[in-house]
Amino acid sequence: MDFVQNFPFISILLSLFSGPLTSILNGKWAKRVNTLVITVIGFLSGAVLFYVLGTGEAFVYRMGHFPAPWGNEIRVGVLEGFMALFFCAVMLLCMLGGSAEREREIEDSKQNLYYIMVNLLLCSLLALIYTNDLFTAYVFVEINTISACGLIMIKQNGRTIEAAVRYMIMSLLGSGLLLLGICFLYDLTGHLLMSNIKEAVAELAATGQYHVPLFLSLGLISVGLAIKSALYPFHAWLPDAYGYSTVSSAAILSSLVSKGYIFLLVKIFYRVIGFSVVCDSKVINVLFVFGVIGMIMGSVSAIKEGEIRRMIAFSSVAQIGYIYMGFGLGTEEGIVASVYHILSHCATKSLLFVAASGLTDASGGSRKFPDLTGAGYRNKLAGVAFTVGSLSMVGFPMFSGFISKLLFAQAAMEHDRKMMITLVALAISTVLNAIYFMKTVIRIYTPAAKGYAHPDSRRIPLGEQPDKNLALVFFILLNVMLGLNSEPIVELIRKGLGMFS
Amino acid sequence: MNMVILLPIGVPILVGMMLWMSSFAEHFRKEKKKKAPGNRIALYAVSILLLTACAAAAVVLSWTGDRQLTLTELVDGIPLYFYIDDLGKLFVTVVSVIWVLTSVYCYSYLKEEGADKRFLGCFLALYGVLVGLCFAGNLVTMYLFYELMTLVSTPLVMHNRSREAILAGLKYLFFSLCGAYAGLFGIFVLNRYCDTLVFLPGGSLSPEMAVSYAGILQAAVFVMLIGFGAKAGMLPLHAWLPTAHPVAPSPASAVLSGVIVKFGVFAMIRVVCYVVGTELIRGTWVQTVWMVLSLCTVFMGSMLAFREPVFKKRLAYSTVSQLSYIVFGLSLLNPAALTGALLHVVGHAVIKCGLFLTAGVFLSKYGCTKVSELSGIGKKQPKVLWCYTVFALGLIGMPFTAGFVSKWNLAVGSLTSKTGVFAVLGPIVLLISALLTAGYLLPVTMHGFFPGESETAGRQGNPEKERTDWWMLLPLLVLAVLTVLLGTFPGKLVSYFEELSGLLIG
Repeated sequence: MDFVQNFPFISILLSLFSGPLTSILNGKWAKRVNTLVITVIGFLSGAVLFYVLGTGEAFVYRMGHFPAPWGNEIRVGVLEGFMALFFCAVMLLCMLGGSAEREREIEDSKQNLYYIMVNLLLCSLLALIYTNDLFTAYVFVEINTISACGLIMIKQNGRTIEAAVRYMIMSLLGSGLLLLGICFLYDLTGHLLMSNIKEAVAELAATGQYHVPLFLSLGLISVGLAIKSALYPFHAWLPDAYGYSTVSSAAILSSLVSKGYIFLLVKIFYRVIGFSVVCDSKVINVLFVFGVIGMIMGSVSAIKEGEIRRMIAFSSVAQIGYIYMGFGLGTEEGIVASVYHILSHCATKSLLFVAASGLTDASGGSRKFPDLTGAGYRNKLAGVAFTVGSLSMVGFPMFSGFISKLLFAQAAMEHDRKMMITLVALAISTVLNAIYFMKTVIRIYTPAAKGYAHPDSRRIPLGEQPDKNLALVFFILLNVMLGLNSEPIVELIRKGLGMFS
Repeated sequence: MNMVILLPIGVPILVGMMLWMSSFAEHFRKEKKKKAPGNRIALYAVSILLLTACAAAAVVLSWTGDRQLTLTELVDGIPLYFYIDDLGKLFVTVVSVIWVLTSVYCYSYLKEEGADKRFLGCFLALYGVLVGLCFAGNLVTMYLFYELMTLVSTPLVMHNRSREAILAGLKYLFFSLCGAYAGLFGIFVLNRYCDTLVFLPGGSLSPEMAVSYAGILQAAVFVMLIGFGAKAGMLPLHAWLPTAHPVAPSPASAVLSGVIVKFGVFAMIRVVCYVVGTELIRGTWVQTVWMVLSLCTVFMGSMLAFREPVFKKRLAYSTVSQLSYIVFGLSLLNPAALTGALLHVVGHAVIKCGLFLTAGVFLSKYGCTKVSELSGIGKKQPKVLWCYTVFALGLIGMPFTAGFVSKWNLAVGSLTSKTGVFAVLGPIVLLISALLTAGYLLPVTMHGFFPGESETAGRQGNPEKERTDWWMLLPLLVLAVLTVLLGTFPGKLVSYFEELSGLLIG
């Protein structure tokens, strides 16, 4: 066994144990340790990715060398390695971009608590990505939920606490359904390891036995994870949670936490149920319908919104809709498009949140659109970054959003029944996106009329927020890279999905 | 070897971006150094030489040999692909000529406007983007450069940085983006039904597909026409044009009105003649609506121009109307009409560029914005006003000017096309519009040379300003000569276009 194969496990443990370590350090050192840990884990994931690319096949890592029914396994392929690397990079940038707000908005005594939460979150995300065991996945889903709640309410004001409670209730409902689904599956197959369940399920599907319970468990798992990742009718917790928490929390929640659940769902589709069984079931049609409705309704809510942060939050609902619509197409191409959109949305949404915080800083902390008039001039880099993010979201070529739209359209073309709906939904949603994002871009570049500016608005020079600006520059680069250099990444995703089965 | 195609695309974009960045760097420097006048001349000389070199390279490349180049694949089966074909050659040549002439003009004009580096940077980058657009070999590559064109040309509109200019720029951005997304939707659909998105003369859609999926394909083509029509100022998405073109500095409005809007037409030709083929929409509701929209735009544009008192705005409305001549010629789907349309692309580019440049002379020297302020201007600037007169006559369509040849071909094409009532209605609307054109352009000449009692122009003028400024006059003279040459010796050009049209519309 090569030494590199230990890396996934090491990175999970590293993030898990750096949590307690940061609890005894003071704020500044906690931050340093946290940054260091995320960076190290990023490098480890990169090494794993290269290793897997080199060998060309996924490897299984048995913890404690116990064989299947008793032991717990980690399984790493190309996609897992890449996701871990990407998540680490985005998380690092989110932490960097929100550091000033975090220090301002969170009480001093609670600074290091924040880093514990972030470390735990990273640990649970990594575990969700790597694990080969369904019950372990469930455990880390819960850890993820709890740390996410902490991230929301650590900035203490009425709205965040309300938002956190709401998030808690919805999330627990989701994980309850997930647990039920897992119980059913365990009952049906007698296994918890993904590969074993898949064999058993294939047998059941072939003989047609237990059709209803199997269908039911798939439905429960899908709905559970859909609630947790804020698919359209279950999105009520989202705008407050993303809109009022401190900016790095909002960026991390929107770009990583919900994506972790979605990635788990992809894994369950491929590694637990088997993709052909999933495609034959009607669950994907349900996901498709709600995805399409979400694409439209999320954008409509965003248009009606009067605050920039909540608007971006509602736009997430629409983007999550895109991803589920891709699942709903029920083709390999659809999944590829969805996974690409996970990456693209990850890079863009966090960019938008960080840039929006830069704009609100320049407008006396107000998030209302009238006060943001001309903010693009007061904080130049944030204005440019917000424009890039908006163009990417709308689907401007050169940026990541364009490629994912192209992939969705291509995927839809292979599907006769759903093609027209998908294309029309894509078109409408693009126009709606253009309406609210371009409206905001126009707003921030409209020179403020005299006497109407917010009293506390001021010009922020480039040097004042070095951390945030650095993060913004990297986010923009990430976006352009995804947009211009998409082919190898799409290839990587295909290879990764190939390794799943 | 074919990587050389990237040269005229990449070099101007890179140099332009660098210039632009350096203008920002200047902005952030604490103390503003006083610039030596020599720097400015050097900056312009280098930029103009570079642009000329790139333009020469682009033109030579496009007229010698068959060149193609595949860069990375964006997604499976859709590469970034460049191929230089007949239409691309034509547009590249027009763009290059106009760009070099306008860049010479900029030197004198921008003295008044300041911020050279920012303007020149955008101007250079835009040239590179346009060359890329001309050389694009498939729909997605074209779309990419089309959007880039919008993005890079917006700062030109906003150049003044006044509230009005910025709002106009944002309006331009919004309309263009919405239009382009309508086009994108069509690309998605075409990607499914066409064998390839690569441009092939006559289209790549197989007849069986065209018959069995006629409904959806026609709808998609219609959406694309409306979308790309936004750039060409066609109804219903024309509203940005009269707002955005007048507020830009004159050299910018010259290239916007003379060249950029033509790329809406370019995209339409690419879609209709190179991807789906004309047979798909011939005689269907798409063609009818398209013709109706373009004729309405011709008439509406001329009427609005006629009653517009602000000079540059009048020219902008005139662009709306003239562009739809081209669109109408295209929509007839007839080789003769297409020949006329392509001739008008060339003629209108030269003429409208010239008109906006003369407007720039009056604006920068005397601060005249309204037509009524221009009476008596011929006494101060006779040479410029003579150039203007040539352009005006060209736009009206006098014989021996570029406008005549194109309008003649358009009318002939319209009459020989089998489009029922439109075959006759077209020339009638064109004639009325030509009369209106005479009505809104010629009074400037008349009152300019014969002011009568009410001489107002140049009240604040001083002898310093009235000296002939060769930087400004030279491009105008060249354009005026071109207008006449194109109208007097059109033979070669017409036969080239006839061949091309025959190839495109079987």
